[in-house]
Amino acid sequence: MHDLSSLRKAVIEGEVSASTAAARLALENGVQPLDLMSQGIVPAMAEVGKLFEEGEYFVPELLMSARATKEIFQILRPLLAQTGAQPTAHVVLGTVRGDLHDIGKNLVAAMLEGGGFEVTDLGVDVPPEAFVAAVKKNPVEIVGLSALLTTTMPAMKATIEAFRAAGLRDQVKIMVGGAPITQKYADSIGADGYSESAAATVELARRLTGTCHGVSP
Amino acid sequence: MNDQQWNTLVAAVRGETLRPLPTAFIIDSPWLPNWAGHTILDYFTDDRVFLEDNLRAIRTFPETIFLPGFWSEYGMCTEPSAFGSVSMWGEDEFPFAKKVLHSPSEVERLEKPDPRKNGLLPFVIKRLQHLQPQIEAAGHKIRFAVARGPLNIASFLMGTPEFLEATRTDPELMNRLLDIITDFLVEWVAYQREVFPSIDGIMLLDDIVGFISRRDFEAFGLPYLRRVYSADVAVKFFHNDAPCKASAPLLESAGINLLNFGVQHTLADMKTWTSNRIALVGNVPPRDVLAEGTAEDVKQSVGEILSPIEDRTRLIVSCGGGMPPHAPTENIRALISAVEELTR
Repeated sequence: MHDLSSLRKAVIEGEVSASTAAARLALENGVQPLDLMSQGIVPAMAEVGKLFEEGEYFVPELLMSARATKEIFQILRPLLAQTGAQPTAHVVLGTVRGDLHDIGKNLVAAMLEGGGFEVTDLGVDVPPEAFVAAVKKNPVEIVGLSALLTTTMPAMKATIEAFRAAGLRDQVKIMVGGAPITQKYADSIGADGYSESAAATVELARRLTGTCHGVSP
Repeated sequence: MNDQQWNTLVAAVRGETLRPLPTAFIIDSPWLPNWAGHTILDYFTDDRVFLEDNLRAIRTFPETIFLPGFWSEYGMCTEPSAFGSVSMWGEDEFPFAKKVLHSPSEVERLEKPDPRKNGLLPFVIKRLQHLQPQIEAAGHKIRFAVARGPLNIASFLMGTPEFLEATRTDPELMNRLLDIITDFLVEWVAYQREVFPSIDGIMLLDDIVGFISRRDFEAFGLPYLRRVYSADVAVKFFHNDAPCKASAPLLESAGINLLNFGVQHTLADMKTWTSNRIALVGNVPPRDVLAEGTAEDVKQSVGEILSPIEDRTRLIVSCGGGMPPHAPTENIRALISAVEELTR
């Protein structure tokens, strides 16, 4: 099989054009899109997450690796669709009502995509009913709520209650995160999971969905 | 800040032995108006509310130092507004500055604002000028020129992820952006000093420093901070409550001599990383302990952060960051009295 180490290296180093070039070369050499993901992107982004957790990488490094991954996905998405491969799970993400901060949410989106999840990003200042509407429109396994401000944390609870009121609470796992959020707070509002960092969110999402691989054939 | 408090602050910066250790807190709109029973928007828009809330704080806690003291601010909108950023307000919400640069190349068209005329900056100055007689009648003076730091302003002008990515994809343009912001900041600080001759300190707040590596800090942070802090003042105060292991060893070379940091690091580590040459302001956990804990939790936390510290020079006890929203009076009193008791 074609060696994917140069692709992994390019993703880890956040070299966007080198990453897409390596992905194209791998596909030309017969690597299946699914293998490119599970043996190229997923381990590379896992390494990026590890380096971030260890303090070797900082936010710009994480962002550039995420961008490289995103560009590869642009190439892979139509090919994966042709093979009938499904993402591990579908996640809807957003920063809750009243909160306009996006860096944490963007990092989580990038890490989840790198981990093989399909992500729908609803943006910032997302009201509870918009989260519910998104799930009604396109059923997902996980809803991710982000907040940076202590004043907007209550919107997380309101969003969870909106899912309950809509009769959808049992159909989705809800995970929360952001600077002021703690496990204690997550438990108190009835969230299913809390992650302290963007990198750790991938593992959390896998636990919540009972999956351990990047993509399901 | 009154004369005695200022002298204590300067003594701490100089490394004098102080018993008991001083306490100090950064107080601003996330805590003060709600603590005093007002909405954030009333605090921003009504000079009487601003004065009343600040006077109430200094009279409730006369033993502690409030930094910068009578801080005239409009949250994160203050400096970005001068660059044309739209400010978004809620009755009791933190204001938000909308970005004005939608791609790195737009830096080319960015003009340096005039701090005397642009955005909310004349309002910052006028508020303090109007209230100066009452502030001085209360025994206090305006001691600090205050601004958000260059990286923080850049992140509001562009969006944080966009700015941080652009340091990789368009480093020259980002250096150009930071040059423009720093030219403005130097003038903004000079203008505040010109209007209020009692100013002998500079306070910059920049959490974005905590998101980048040492190498990036050397390229995109240090040279700019150094320029702003090059003014001849006694106290050069920096706030970054995001991680600061990467930047801490370099802060002294920026001219910084007083630092408020977060809860990611211990006082002992920070003393080591700064070679005990910067006075540290910290670091009881602001949210989990000062705002949400009990008075007993606060007392215990003070003991825990101080007990490993043998050399207690250049140390001011505070929380790790600004005063958090909803920190109650009894917990603040508990912190102050625990420090007095433990460091007498």
